[in-house]
Amino acid sequence: MRFDFTTEETDFRNQISTFLDEMLPKNWGGPAGLSDDDGWALDQRLRKELVKRGWLVMGWPKEYGGADSSPMMNTILADEMAYRRAPGLDGFGTRMLGPTLMAFGNEEQRAQHLGAIARGEVQWCQGYSEPNSGSDLASIQTSAELYGDEFVINGAKIWTSMGHRADMMFMLVRTNPDEPRHAGISLLLVDMKTPGIDVQPIVNMAGVHHFNQVIFDNVCVPKENLVGDLNDGWRVGMTILNHERSGIEFAAGARAAIEELIAYINNPDSPVHSAKSDPAVRIKLAELSTEVEAARLLCYDVTWRHGQGLEPSFEASMSKVAGTDIYQKVLEYGLEILGMYGGLEPASPQVELQGRFLKLRMLSTATTIFSGTNEIQKNIIAQRGLGLPRPPRPPGLANK
Amino acid sequence: MDFGLTETQELIRTTAREFLADRSDSSVARAVANGDTDALESLWKDIVELGWPALIISEEHGGAGLSFGDFAVLLEELGASLAPTPIVESAITSRIIERFGSNDLKSDLLPKAATGDALITPAIVERDASWDATSPTVAATKTDTGLVITGEKRFVAFAEQATHALTLVRTDKGDPALVVVPISESGGIEQIPLEHVAGTPVSSVSFNELEVPEANIVATGDDAIRTTEELIATGSVARAAQLAGLGRAVMDATVEYASNREQFGQVVGSFQAIQHHLAEMAIASKQVNHLVHSAAWSFSQDGYSVERAAKAKIAASEKISALCWNAHQCHGAIGFTWEHDLHLYTRRALAWKTDYGDSSFHKSKLADAMGL
Ligand SMILES: Cc1cc2nc3c(=O)[nH]c(=O)nc-3n(C[C@H](O)[C@H](O)[C@H](O)COP(=O)(O)OP(=O)(O)OC[C@H]3O[C@@H](n4cnc5c(N)ncnc54)[C@H](O)[C@@H]3O)c2cc1C
Repeated sequence: MRFDFTTEETDFRNQISTFLDEMLPKNWGGPAGLSDDDGWALDQRLRKELVKRGWLVMGWPKEYGGADSSPMMNTILADEMAYRRAPGLDGFGTRMLGPTLMAFGNEEQRAQHLGAIARGEVQWCQGYSEPNSGSDLASIQTSAELYGDEFVINGAKIWTSMGHRADMMFMLVRTNPDEPRHAGISLLLVDMKTPGIDVQPIVNMAGVHHFNQVIFDNVCVPKENLVGDLNDGWRVGMTILNHERSGIEFAAGARAAIEELIAYINNPDSPVHSAKSDPAVRIKLAELSTEVEAARLLCYDVTWRHGQGLEPSFEASMSKVAGTDIYQKVLEYGLEILGMYGGLEPASPQVELQGRFLKLRMLSTATTIFSGTNEIQKNIIAQRGLGLPRPPRPPGLANK
Repeated sequence: MDFGLTETQELIRTTAREFLADRSDSSVARAVANGDTDALESLWKDIVELGWPALIISEEHGGAGLSFGDFAVLLEELGASLAPTPIVESAITSRIIERFGSNDLKSDLLPKAATGDALITPAIVERDASWDATSPTVAATKTDTGLVITGEKRFVAFAEQATHALTLVRTDKGDPALVVVPISESGGIEQIPLEHVAGTPVSSVSFNELEVPEANIVATGDDAIRTTEELIATGSVARAAQLAGLGRAVMDATVEYASNREQFGQVVGSFQAIQHHLAEMAIASKQVNHLVHSAAWSFSQDGYSVERAAKAKIAASEKISALCWNAHQCHGAIGFTWEHDLHLYTRRALAWKTDYGDSSFHKSKLADAMGL
């Protein structure tokens, strides 16, 4: 065992930090007060710079524009970016679709898409969830019927993050109506400009337009856009989900928030400076900091397993549960420390810390819901990790 | 012990439910959160007509003379409905003036508060965001006719609607004083409206050499500290009662959702993970309800139980905000949308958990009361 980073890793972390010092706006504390358009502009600017430095897809093999760097280096990048609340890392393209195309895509698909992702030119979005299919993804109903050389897609996807910014979507569709569950699903790549696609905004509880409903009305997609085999989309699509999770961004966000709170109460100009000498505050922050470190180590364990060539499964679920729980707790405690100021929205006069803790606490509500709810993650830990039996399902729902 | 409602309380509950269902759905809360003061004022007018601000004012001063325990039943319903009203501000200041004000002040202000002609809101907190009654900095200089007040109060609820602020100041002798300050005139007063998670008006109010007659002083010195502490405790139990109602409403809505939303061919309420979330919400909701009514019941003509008041606010602040987050978890993505009403409740819960002292403030009060 060894609980520090190599010189190379530490140097890299410092480089990212210097890079972000240069790139982020002055007094940057995160995107909480930024408009959706300004946030997107910053995301795009940073992404271009990440490409220039060879960091955006550094974990990819060299042949696809990557640097073959270790999962550890990759997680350090994600850790440092999230710690600074910097946008720019494109999770959908670089971490989800890219590795999936490497595993299941054909030569043309790799040639067409991987380079564009590596160069930061294309924004992807993920079309999995539907109004009636959230946790139970295998029940999706959006259909794709093959007519000649084209699939014709009809249905609705929902909660599509970045759908309004995306050039392309990877989506799960039902290609065999006689197979109501896993066996009738395929993965398709769809150009968002195809006629018949209607992207409808959904504003979230923090007042931000981040996700969308996407309606498909006779949308024609070339049959070459099928990834993997017809009706094998469940296997292909779940690989994507496995690439989604190291969970480091939540532990990183929590770490940033704790440090910000400490600096804030230590500042004699802060209206709640007296919290600094409150023993209860000291104890609570120490408690939270322990939990954050515990969550962070789970994330690095997942990364280490990746590096060892072990496929993390339930371990990734553990880090997601621990990371998101503590992230929410830290933000919630920040609101408590801020006291009456915790109730002020970012745009309010007399606001403290730019109203960030309120906004981030609202936004963080989603972290225990997206990429598999924490209840589903706990089911995975219990069943896949601890070998406990699955509860019986209603007849007709074959086990995965 | 008797956990049942009295006939009067049953009547209050039924009337409140009917009125609020008809008059205060979430569209009113949304409108007011968007700055629609007409919606706020017209709801308040109807509430005044129902006599709710007069409920706990004595009959002698134009009120209905009901108990604080009765009032808590009403507050639960108001909390459950998200009704954006200054009822708590009005009722608790009336009670404090009735208990500690001079006879002149009582006979001048209370009948007006009962009929909505006066709206008195507490102004306690300053820049340090503290509810501590011992250390105000807003300065009050004594003159021959009264006080001249200068300084800033923050987080004053409904200051834009209020006619008076029951304000904690420091006299030139260094003692605290609790004073009724008229704030509807423009001279000597500046208001900065804040954008608050409660979705109801909250302002900072600055006084610039504002003259207030001597008769408006409710208490000075140690009496002012004790009186202000009672004002805060009264407010905290009132907020706890609203939180209890809010928690119940959120729990009911979540049970309803979990009983209808299907995944894996069954309603999500059939999964034990969700059942356990809901069971915890049910326990919390009932516990808070009991603590609130026990505290409210302790309020009488002669005072209140400091311990019960603190316990009610501690439990309500912690358990009901947790209940709301739990509800979000059970709803999945739909509860994360602006369009869904759930976040309106969560926002209120966040505001109310800190109002009139958060749980750490009241833990410290409770520890004092317990002899620690
Ligand atoms: C901010 C945000 C961004 C998102 N972005 C995307 C995106 O880009 N693309 C995309 O496809 N999707 C996206 N999603 C959707 C996300 O994947 C789903 O919200 C998630 O899978 C849960 O589905 P649901 O919301 O329908 O909740 P439901 O599945 O209806 O769950 C409701 C409740 O029931 C519980 N539950 C369900 N099944 C079980 C079970 N078997 N055992 C125990 N408890 C259970 C859940 O944990 C939850 O508490 C996003 C969601 C959010 C909030």
